[in-house]
Amino acid sequence: MLYINDLTKKYGSYTAVNHLTLHIPEGDLFGFVGPNGAGKTTTIRIVCGLMRANAGSVQIGNISAAVGSRKMKRLIGYVPDFFGVYDNLKVKEYMDMYGSMYGMSSRDIAKLSDDLLELVNLSDKKEVYVDTLSRGMKQRLCVARALLHNPRLLILDEPSSGLDPRARVEMKELLKNLHAMGKTIVISSHILSELSEMCTSIGIMNRGQLVTAGRIEDIMKKISGGRRIHLRVLSDMEPALRLLREQAQVRVESVRENEVIILFDGEETRLAGLLGMLLQNQVLVTDFHREEGSLESLFMQLTGGVAE
Amino acid sequence: MKIRWNPIVKKDLQVTARSMRISWGLFAYEAALALAFLLVLAIIQEEADSWYSDNFYSYLVVLFPVLAVVQVCIVTLIVPIITASAISGEKERQTFDLMLTTCMTPFSIVFGKVMSAVINILLFVAASTPVMALSFVVGGMRWSYLFYFLLAILLQAVFSGSIGIFASSLCRKSIVAVLLSFSIYGGFYVLTALPPLISMIFGMGRNMGESALFLLLNPVVFFEEFFMLLMTGETMFNGTISKGDAGIVTYMLSHYNLWIYVSAGCMLLVSFLFMLMAAWKVNPLHSGTGVRKKK
Ligand SMILES: Nc1ncnc2c1ncn2[C@@H]1O[C@H](COP(=O)(O)OP(=O)(O)O)[C@@H](O)[C@H]1O
Ligand SMILES: [Mg+2]
Repeated sequence: MLYINDLTKKYGSYTAVNHLTLHIPEGDLFGFVGPNGAGKTTTIRIVCGLMRANAGSVQIGNISAAVGSRKMKRLIGYVPDFFGVYDNLKVKEYMDMYGSMYGMSSRDIAKLSDDLLELVNLSDKKEVYVDTLSRGMKQRLCVARALLHNPRLLILDEPSSGLDPRARVEMKELLKNLHAMGKTIVISSHILSELSEMCTSIGIMNRGQLVTAGRIEDIMKKISGGRRIHLRVLSDMEPALRLLREQAQVRVESVRENEVIILFDGEETRLAGLLGMLLQNQVLVTDFHREEGSLESLFMQLTGGVAE
Repeated sequence: MKIRWNPIVKKDLQVTARSMRISWGLFAYEAALALAFLLVLAIIQEEADSWYSDNFYSYLVVLFPVLAVVQVCIVTLIVPIITASAISGEKERQTFDLMLTTCMTPFSIVFGKVMSAVINILLFVAASTPVMALSFVVGGMRWSYLFYFLLAILLQAVFSGSIGIFASSLCRKSIVAVLLSFSIYGGFYVLTALPPLISMIFGMGRNMGESALFLLLNPVVFFEEFFMLLMTGETMFNGTISKGDAGIVTYMLSHYNLWIYVSAGCMLLVSFLFMLMAAWKVNPLHSGTGVRKKK
């Protein structure tokens, strides 16, 4: 769907995006992750035609058009990392304005904007002035606005920064719905865990370079935390520990009251075997899970690696 | 056929119509005009000894040009201010990038901005019709003059407005853009007069060539000719330029009453060029560095 080819962008002598090559397949919910200053916004702005790259190309679908051409712009819905609203303009008029900027007829705009405002849960705010909306509402309005011309690709730059937890959840639900409707979506964020549960694939960027990209399961497997298993037992800890230490693939990392964290090197079947072995030996296992949220640690690991 | 509004014009009119600025603007505009009206009346009265002399009524003829010039001055002062802050204003609200990601071309954005400023100011001018009408009645003018006057002021609004938008595309700060647009606009008053002046001074009365053609872009000359034509029906060059004095084009323009139309055409063309340059400048794909305002 979106092909970014060898993209390079320099600000003076500073290289913000460095030979970035990335392919995002159709129908994906792609998480674009990287610490602040990694070059995510720069990449997105180039794709949206708001900036010229020093080198490289961008292609959407099989359409060959220059970045920033009208043809290309029709394919992209862009939700920037700012709101961009006017005083003295009502929600309905705001939608109306952007619709007509895409050359849509007022009848189409009226119909579509009704549907979209419904989708983003703002149908009761049509006559409200845009600048009086809450941050979460503004953000959802921006999504509705970006969808008005029915783009094939929706790009959101840090959509949940500055939102309260509730608004974040609503945003996440909205994006999941849109994904289910078949839209290809790209979300950038500097928080990995925020994306990991909803994205189908992610790309990690640091210092202008792509560190890794792929399906989320594949990335998860690479994580050291993926090897980290939390184990909780009801019975006495000692026999369990003894059994664990006997296993070649297991390294006990830390032991707490009745919880032990182990590092496991091996395949999934072996892991299942480990659990079976414990149970057979009358260890009362109450909890046995792979550490989560450790995408963060992967992140540190991967991005740290580039830094060195 | 359905007329498609430029979305920016529509939005700008919606937004300004709701702000207090426009009410105050209208008030100030009408007040300034009424003040000018009274002032001129007072001066005429001074000059013409008494209300009852025949002299008095013949003086009233100047009411219309004076009020018209006052309006032209206000308009050419306000329109560049509006357009000079148009692009930086959108950038401050961070809506400019959003516009650029739509199918609006940079030119249609620039054009829309100039048009909304012009339409806004025409609202002021239209509201001044009663005062102008008074000057007609007492000055004995024809009604069609009002129409010509509207066209002329529209032209100046577009001209000064596109200079404003051009300045706006160059400067990040609104205030700098306003100053720059006044300098450029002022430049048209001063610099266009230099070539004919120089050739007159150093030419020692010999053929001044086509140097006077620069004056086609001079608003003062435009309005002088405009009022000359309206008030007397004759061009101000009437008989002053003979074949030996100037180049053939200058001679033709002055001789056949063409000056005003060619001048208007040139001003429109230059306005168009300024808008084109502004559009080129705001197009993010043209500026190599891609400077972006830091938050
Ligand atoms: N207009 C600009 N001029 C100079 N440097 C910039 C500009 N915009 C961004 N940068 C720099 O480029 C780098 C990448 O920025 P950005 O793409 O915004 O990162 P991200 O969105 O991943 O946080 C940063 O180091 C930033 O300081
Ligand atoms: Mg960013």
